[in-house]
Amino acid sequence: MMATDYSSAVEIKRIVKRYGEILALDNVDLSIRSGEIFGLLGPNGSGKSTTMKMLLGLVQPDSGTLSVLGIDVKKDPVAVKRLVGYVPESPRLYEFLTGIEYLDFIGDVYGMQTEAKKARINEYLKALELEGREGDMISSYSEGMKQKVALISAFMYKPKLLILDEPLSGLDPRSARIVKDFLHELKAQGVTTMMSTHVLEIAQAICDRIGIMYHGKLLALGTMDELREMAKLPDSALEDIFLKLTGTGDIRPVVEELLK
Amino acid sequence: MNWKNVLHLIRVEMNWKNVLHLIRIDMKSGRFLRGKRLTRFRESKVFTYVLYGGALVLGLVVGALAGMFYVSASATDPNFAALANQGMLSLFLGLPTLVLIYSLVLTMMQQIQRSGAKFSSQAPYWLPITWGEHTLASILANLFGFPLVSIVFIAPAIILFSTFTGQVVAAAATVLAVCAAAFMASAVTEVFRILQVRFIGAIYKSTGRAAIWVRFVGSLLFFLVFYIVYFYVVSGTGGIYLVQTIASAQSTIWFIPFVWLGMTLYSFLNGLILQGIAFVILSLGFIAALFYVATSLNGRYGLYEPPAITVSRGVYAPKTGLLGRLGFSTTEGALIRKDLKAFSRRRELMVVFILPIVIILAPIMQGLGQMGRPVPPEASSFLVALVFLLPSAAMATMLGTFMIGEEGMTIWRIYSSPISPNSLVKSKYFFIVFFSLAILVVTGTVGFVAFHPSLRTVFVALLESVFLVFTLGSISLSNGIKGADFTEVPRPRMIRTLQSFINLILCFLVASAILFPFAPYLLSSFVPGLAQPLMDLYVAVVLSSIIAAFTTLIFYRISIKNADELLRKAET
Repeated sequence: MMATDYSSAVEIKRIVKRYGEILALDNVDLSIRSGEIFGLLGPNGSGKSTTMKMLLGLVQPDSGTLSVLGIDVKKDPVAVKRLVGYVPESPRLYEFLTGIEYLDFIGDVYGMQTEAKKARINEYLKALELEGREGDMISSYSEGMKQKVALISAFMYKPKLLILDEPLSGLDPRSARIVKDFLHELKAQGVTTMMSTHVLEIAQAICDRIGIMYHGKLLALGTMDELREMAKLPDSALEDIFLKLTGTGDIRPVVEELLK
Repeated sequence: MNWKNVLHLIRVEMNWKNVLHLIRIDMKSGRFLRGKRLTRFRESKVFTYVLYGGALVLGLVVGALAGMFYVSASATDPNFAALANQGMLSLFLGLPTLVLIYSLVLTMMQQIQRSGAKFSSQAPYWLPITWGEHTLASILANLFGFPLVSIVFIAPAIILFSTFTGQVVAAAATVLAVCAAAFMASAVTEVFRILQVRFIGAIYKSTGRAAIWVRFVGSLLFFLVFYIVYFYVVSGTGGIYLVQTIASAQSTIWFIPFVWLGMTLYSFLNGLILQGIAFVILSLGFIAALFYVATSLNGRYGLYEPPAITVSRGVYAPKTGLLGRLGFSTTEGALIRKDLKAFSRRRELMVVFILPIVIILAPIMQGLGQMGRPVPPEASSFLVALVFLLPSAAMATMLGTFMIGEEGMTIWRIYSSPISPNSLVKSKYFFIVFFSLAILVVTGTVGFVAFHPSLRTVFVALLESVFLVFTLGSISLSNGIKGADFTEVPRPRMIRTLQSFINLILCFLVASAILFPFAPYLLSSFVPGLAQPLMDLYVAVVLSSIIAAFTTLIFYRISIKNADELLRKAET
């Protein structure tokens, strides 16, 4: 079932998803090229997390097709999961395990060889400054430490595609910088990254292309220059483009109302 | 104790709206039921109405029936009324203390089974809510469930019955005392809850790496003691004996605050008004003091976080496990090891190890103890069968229903990992069978030492227990997957109530079918003069094994089908 020859890491075609009366995704089409860092932006409830979960088979679309690294997600979700590293928004970890036990568990689930598992776990623990706390139960970790463990668990088995929902949330500046640089290095190795974030400066700094979602639709898609052109805002930062494209730019009256 | 502070706490610092909101939060979090598609929560009040309404109706029915019996028995036997009235007085005197012990055990058990999820209880701490409000809400919310159900049952039953016996005032006073007793018990539990967080923290700190084992053994012992006390109070003659003892002995132990409510009733019912008033004041003072202590402790240690448990230190070296050599893939081995750690480290899951043993062994041991004479051979065989069959079968049933639901909100990890339905079921099923067989070894050894059965009996009981473990494990796993409930607060639910009920019926029917070939043997041992069955015992074993193997296979396949559906329709 596995295909190795693919030019697009992700192919989403005419995806529709409803939760009762709420239309979470409305005919979304999206293609992410292999080896690019793709940023998915949008206000809360715009459909970003649903799209990401669908790529792993965690949410079933009502209609449309999804293919990840050449594999039909519906037909072989296990094969897709084997190739993808995933960090959900606010990941819940097994709090009764220690950090090292959790990573050991992940390594085994993804079938890593013992020596490679040991080497990579130790490298990541050192890089993200978790050394010395790896033997403590996760229940005593801070949110930032838990996020680091979640990130290591997505990186350690060298996946071909990374799906990261708010990956830098809770990280200290040093660790956030390491993760950003690391994503660039992975890109050079051909790894595709799809990430969502509300910190637009991060998206602008590290993403090759950006997609902006609003009310379940993909409003805009392209590089920074293409987005500027679409918004007719040359030389503007992503924040202004985002607010204009999502129609939420006129925030002055809202602030004034709050100040009353 | 500064009584001004206590009064200030109750009068000035208490916003009753906040207390009601907090109680509602606690109750609602307990009532959340997940919708079929697991995308939103919906609330069901039906269970609450059935529970409390049912208890009320049952109380009225019991009171009315007892009253009618009283009237008819008094008409035929003139001494009956006097005896019954005396008996009722004894009951009234003992009831507050009995309810206190009962509520204490139940509220303690509720507390120790609560989820360790921190987010569930921390929200009120940053809101403008005083510790007094928080403590009162916690004490009252802890009474919801069986402690309150028992009061809702007792109150109408004794008041209605007392209208027949002419003891309405005494009954009403008893109901008041019973309510106060339940509150007293819950307040003690609240004090205990805060102290145990603080002391367990200190123990973890001092024991270092051994903390994990200290916690495991400590929790098991704690559960064991409480369940044995619980069974003694609620089962058979234990409760009645306790009421009689309390009623007659509380005058001699009047200095213990827990019997002051009973002493209040005793004093008033015997016309000792001044003494009664003194005990009312003492009881109210004790309740206020408990509340004050609980509030102060909450203020001091309510936000205390136990120190981290360090399980390992030094350079990480992954272990190559035995599971690989047993034919499990690395994924399956990882899942089994993870579950092993979950059941030995998560306090709310440790109950699994205790319940099957205590539920079955406590009544048996109690029954044996009361006999006080050698057990007859036919009863011995029956008890051997019980000790062999029931704990391991109960363990397989419980573990089967819990194995998927225990994942809680961390189920996303299973959903997003490359785990096939086959691997998931294989690893979970192995865990169920392994632990149930371990329980069988322990209880079997106890049974062998206690009853000295023949080798033939041991052999057959052992085989049948193994058949039951395999079959009930696969049935329960299939239902545990189908009805998995990942709700975590206030305590993990594991499985939806309806599916759990269906599972119990199914397990009972299949277990009966597996053991059916032995029915003639059972009848011939208990019915004197009945001829020995013609069928050889080992033929019965073979027949039983065929039924077990067939059912196990079918439900194992159903489990895989259900797991496939679970993983495909993840939607966390």
